[in-house]
Amino acid sequence: MKPDSGKGLKVQTFEFPSRLSEVYEASAQALAFLRPLGLAEGELFDIRLCLEEAVINAMKYGNELDERRKVKIRIEPREQELCIEVTDEGRGFDPEHVADCTQDEGVLKGCGRGIFLMKQLMDEVRYNRRGNAVSMLKRFKAKSEDTRGQDAG
Amino acid sequence: MQVKQLEKDGVTVFEIDGEVNLSTSPELKKQFEKSAPKKLVVDLQKVQYIDSSGLATLVEILKKTRAQGGQLGLAGLSDKVRSLFEITKLDKLFVITKSREDALSKIK
Repeated sequence: MKPDSGKGLKVQTFEFPSRLSEVYEASAQALAFLRPLGLAEGELFDIRLCLEEAVINAMKYGNELDERRKVKIRIEPREQELCIEVTDEGRGFDPEHVADCTQDEGVLKGCGRGIFLMKQLMDEVRYNRRGNAVSMLKRFKAKSEDTRGQDAG
Repeated sequence: MQVKQLEKDGVTVFEIDGEVNLSTSPELKKQFEKSAPKKLVVDLQKVQYIDSSGLATLVEILKKTRAQGGQLGLAGLSDKVRSLFEITKLDKLFVITKSREDALSKIK
């Protein structure tokens, strides 16, 4: 049995100035929007973490914390998956050139750990050609795989 | 996030309550730098959320503890928080135990 799929929820977009204090407002609004889907606690943890990491990167590295530049979040609930896009107004970057944070000194340096977590916790992570927009796909788990959030009441 | 500092058998314990993220991790770092304990156990039992900034802060504390010949243990991680350490291979760097008592006996 699947969660309540994307039925009933339309595509939602949010926009925030590049101020780090807005990161938590962004994730709170996104999670409130997703609440009707009845996702499990573990899935919500992953979605929140990846969204916040993407928004932080967009504000910090993409828009260089210029508050006049916006970060856009687009959330599209689909039948059995969720697509989240985070776009900044920066020049973009090459995701291929991010060091592996799990190899050798990378573990201690931790460069790119946020992006690494996004790739591990989401089912798909893609960047546009310019490198200023990331698209993350999370497939809904069957209820029996992770029911902590839903069965807790 | 609240950090309660205790001393137990010559080991400093940081009992953290709340989220360790971009916004709160500077406070944890500040707390560490105030006393710079050589033997430290960070009790994460009341931490339900940590992000890459929180992980980076714990790595920074680990490096500083090691640099002064000390040890750092992490205790009480929830399954989800622990999974982040495993995914990022940070579980190989830290002494991670289920309970604070286990961490204390390893660090002593």
